Amino acid sequence: MIQLKHVWKKYQIDEDVVFTALKDISLTIEKGEFTSLIGPSGSGKSTLMHIIGLLDKASEGEVLIQGQNIADLSDDEISTLRNEFVGFVFQQFNLINKLTIKENILLPTTYARKNLAYDPSSRADEIMERFGILEKAHSYPNKISGGQQQRVAIARSLIMSPSLILADEPTGNLDTKTGNEIMKLLAQLNNKDNITVLIVTHEQGIAEKTKRKIQIIDGALL
Amino acid sequence: MEFIQSAFLDFSRNKGRTFLTSLGILIGVMAVVLLTAFGLGLRAYIEQQFEDLGSNLIRVVPGKPLEGVNFSNPGSFITIKFDEKDVQNLSRIRDVKIIVPVYSKTIHMVAGNHKESSTVYASTGGIFKVLNVKAEYGRLFTDQDVDKRSKVIVIGQTLAEDLFSSAKNAVGKSVKYEGQKYTVIGVTEKKGGGGFGGPDFDSFTYMPYKTAYTFNTEKTFMVIIIQTKTEEAIKPVIRQADKVLLKRYDTDEFSIIQQEELLTAINSIFGIINSVLVAIAAISLIVGGIGIINIMYVTVTERIKEIGIRRALGARKSDILIQFLVASVILSLIGGLAGLAVSYIIVFFIQAYFPAYIDLNSVLLAVGVSSGIGIIFGVFPAKKAAELSPIDAIRYE
Repeated sequence: MIQLKHVWKKYQIDEDVVFTALKDISLTIEKGEFTSLIGPSGSGKSTLMHIIGLLDKASEGEVLIQGQNIADLSDDEISTLRNEFVGFVFQQFNLINKLTIKENILLPTTYARKNLAYDPSSRADEIMERFGILEKAHSYPNKISGGQQQRVAIARSLIMSPSLILADEPTGNLDTKTGNEIMKLLAQLNNKDNITVLIVTHEQGIAEKTKRKIQIIDGALL
Repeated sequence: MEFIQSAFLDFSRNKGRTFLTSLGILIGVMAVVLLTAFGLGLRAYIEQQFEDLGSNLIRVVPGKPLEGVNFSNPGSFITIKFDEKDVQNLSRIRDVKIIVPVYSKTIHMVAGNHKESSTVYASTGGIFKVLNVKAEYGRLFTDQDVDKRSKVIVIGQTLAEDLFSSAKNAVGKSVKYEGQKYTVIGVTEKKGGGGFGGPDFDSFTYMPYKTAYTFNTEKTFMVIIIQTKTEEAIKPVIRQADKVLLKRYDTDEFSIIQQEELLTAINSIFGIINSVLVAIAAISLIVGGIGIINIMYVTVTERIKEIGIRRALGARKSDILIQFLVASVILSLIGGLAGLAVSYIIVFFIQAYFPAYIDLNSVLLAVGVSSGIGIIFGVFPAKKAAELSPIDAIRYE
């Protein structure tokens, strides 16, 4: 489903200083996998996730999503792919504070270019009910707990029925108990809803909960 | 829809800022709309004044008043005066209904202890027809009064009140001017006017022109007003009058002006003055627009992270662009509509003193211009927002 071929990411820091964040990464993630990308901070794991999630571009190499080279796609096509194919879950939750929980969850549907096969509002209600946040539908993100905010973020990532969920340190801002609940939820999405899940983490304990571990150190896969 | 909602949400969270930013547009739109309203009012006022004057009128005047004063136009310096011979010659033209010579002078008249100055129109009985003047009390003088050199005058209501404390009492009383006594035989209906540089007909004095020869010793006239029988006759009469007058005068020594022409000339002068004023007022709109561009840049910076989140969720560049454009257009429209509302209130109160009014064009202009400013001044910040790299934006703290 996702294929990276000899991907490099380099940043021009100064006129003659180049920082190499990713070195010759080649990897394949198949549909239905539950994978973790583990590495210490500064290892390039977030950069890699951003490239897989189409938020960033590789300096060299090829990124193929369902066999399609994303270098051939326009910015609008990539935006549509982000909208329909990927769901993001961030460490900082990244909810929009002036919108209600439900409005946050529905936000991706406002950018949908295709006709949705379902009614967005009732689908949002279903997901909120499943995640136990339905009664918070009209609250604002800063009025609910961190665990609840992360559930909202996961709900938002699910609203467009994506094939892939990318979670960047999803438990990083949560206590262990809440973190475990979030991990359970992500595992459920993988085995019940058959969504490919990729979790970026620096915690071995989190990585242990996934079926496949990809280790990255200093921008290279082990 | 989501964008409009989001824009309003944002404004309600930053009420002070929204108010101050739209204030710039408010003032600009108000200045433009009010000046346009005054211009329109002034034009309507002038047209009204002319309408009061009756139709199918031609004025024969000395010089070339409509061509302005300049050194290549000697006509503007030469002032001839017409006399009874001209009046006789002109009266022989076909299709002339009434011919009215007018001599005018400002005189100081005395009645008892009251002393007033007034503009005297010394003319025939026809003056009342061409100027559309009617008697409220007493009667108007006739051509017989002219021939008999009767020492009679007809005065305006304001003047009558000033001299005799009541307009009704004025009839039958007399005034003195340069040792002569003139009997007031009539007081004219109130016409209004004056105050804006126009003539105040209510302070006028009308007198048979032959009676006025006692002080118009040269027996001349400043203006000869001709009323034609029909509208179609106006052009032929002008041509004939030109021929007649050219026998005695040079071509640049006199002008024959059609009433409508005069109106057009006055309107075009006021039109130019008004356009210049409106153009100056429009500068304040640009200043208002700079306020918008400023605040939109601030808004974009404040919302970089939100832009990143929206991009990560699938928003295209164009979605972000539209979101910020909609916000700036709404911000500007709020100012524009508020400016329009304030203008309406001001015009409403000022109408008692000045015939200003706001027409549909001003409304469309206000709405159009403020949306235009929103787009023009919103597009740069909006483009900046749209061009942000999603990953840099989402990492922005």
